Amino acid sequence: MTARIIEVLFILLWVFPLFWLVITSLKNENEVVTKVFSFWPRHSTLDNYRKAFTSTYILNWMINSLIVSTFSMILTIVVDAPIAYAFAKIKFPGRNILFWLVMAGMMVPFQVLIVPLYLQFNSYNLVNTLTAAMLPRIALPIGIFILKQFYEEIPSALEEAAFIDGASRFTVFNKIIIPLGKAALTTVIILSFINAWNDFLWPLIAINDTAKYTITVGIANFQGTHGTQYSLIMAGATIASLPQIAFFLFFRKKIIAGIAMSGIKG
Amino acid sequence: MVQDLLRCRSEPNVLQGYPMIPGNKDKRDGILFSLPYLAVFTLFMIYPLLFGFFISFFKWDILSTAKFVGLKNYTDLFKDAKFYSSLWHTLQFVLITTPILLMMGFAMALAVTGKSPLKGVMETVFFVPYIFSMTVVATLWAWLMQKDFGIFNQVLVSMGAGRVSWLTNEKYAMWSVSLATFWWTAGFNMVLFSAGIKQIPQEIYESAHMDGARPWQVLTHITIPLISSTTVLCLILQVIASFNVFGQVYVMTGGGPSGSTRVLIQYIYETGFRYYKMGYSAAMSYVLFFIILLVSVVQYLTLGRKKD
Repeated sequence: MTARIIEVLFILLWVFPLFWLVITSLKNENEVVTKVFSFWPRHSTLDNYRKAFTSTYILNWMINSLIVSTFSMILTIVVDAPIAYAFAKIKFPGRNILFWLVMAGMMVPFQVLIVPLYLQFNSYNLVNTLTAAMLPRIALPIGIFILKQFYEEIPSALEEAAFIDGASRFTVFNKIIIPLGKAALTTVIILSFINAWNDFLWPLIAINDTAKYTITVGIANFQGTHGTQYSLIMAGATIASLPQIAFFLFFRKKIIAGIAMSGIKG
Repeated sequence: MVQDLLRCRSEPNVLQGYPMIPGNKDKRDGILFSLPYLAVFTLFMIYPLLFGFFISFFKWDILSTAKFVGLKNYTDLFKDAKFYSSLWHTLQFVLITTPILLMMGFAMALAVTGKSPLKGVMETVFFVPYIFSMTVVATLWAWLMQKDFGIFNQVLVSMGAGRVSWLTNEKYAMWSVSLATFWWTAGFNMVLFSAGIKQIPQEIYESAHMDGARPWQVLTHITIPLISSTTVLCLILQVIASFNVFGQVYVMTGGGPSGSTRVLIQYIYETGFRYYKMGYSAAMSYVLFFIILLVSVVQYLTLGRKKD
């Protein structure tokens, strides 16, 4: 019984900040900035959401983040899936060394790359574009790892049968591996989308114009420009979290499984 | 049989034990399928990694031409008080967050792999903060900890206690940022730990139960020793993640009050992109990289060995 009570307490403790995020966003600004404390909003209002959309760049930021995350997700799949297949099923010389080299990429902290990447993109004249915000984040080693683990489980007999029927390597990849590996691919799609959506340091550096910010940088910027308008800031933060909430509602199991999978054999 | 036939007809295979199929060129296909990733990897990982190292030997701002200065950036670094204080703040964050986040993750994993009817709810609730972006978490917690109107202080005041300067007092600021980090990322460790716990064969628990082992004994003699490889993995990942702390500090305190929470990545960022001392910034990031690498290797060698 005591165990149940402690559990419930912790559940409430963990939910509370999110509850408070939404509650604050529904309050009138005057009701928030007062020492007379109110738990439930006295006059629930969507004004802050309206204001966020009309008087800030939040819509731009959401669209920018959507573009950046969608493209980086697609490109991640396009580059990750073939090499994961090669690592899992094609015995080519140097495969193991290459695999460890790619995995070693996970060890490189991103901050080591920020100065050279900035200069690199500066020389391509791409600084302050969404392309710059997107490109350096598309190589996702963890995605390769997850896909490789899954592809290894697909019986080689299936491929061999197709080869005997005269199928090319690409057909096998496209018609057998991709459809059978859909579960793992979905996990990688979700992880790469969330990763890109949550990215902060790189878009902070790569983009200077307020209108071109991604949502994470935009929200961080909110505090500077809207200082004490807490309910507006919370409305912005809620809007910024909608895609993750949607993803989580639909793919909770996959997200958790993806993280667990990256940990088990690592 | 068919495979043997096929093997006879094909070219000699470099790698044994794999049937060669006519028209199938493993070497060519392997390279072809690896190529897209390797192109991206080279362009956005290998090249900047080498280029950054190169830059670290130059006095380099975007406006004027770069000037070779040898090891000066590195030697300057060790005379820079701000570098030491930033490094110390990063270390502080690592030392505060690593043990607590590991213990929290483990405790949560025990709760969600146990027999509680609430385990499903707990798994979801403990994990959910992790999917939110760092900036949302940081702005939210900055609001919770706001001195005059934040809920934490409102509750303290209503209980008759005084207000706490969560984010504006040098003594508390780093702890406050850590508190937000606990809430945000403990669920990640929980997932890793519960994956480890679920791999322990159920029979071991059953036989321990039959031998009359108490819950505490089961925990210390079965669960903890048997998930040691997960613990090592968690520890290594956590230390790396904590060393790379930046966003939540930057958003919650901006490095203040009076630089007391400025972490190394913030200093790297400001040096490079506010003062445009790119060479110096690059040198600093390499020192941090080296420290992280060193710590990881030491951890791996001292702890990783034990499991086999």
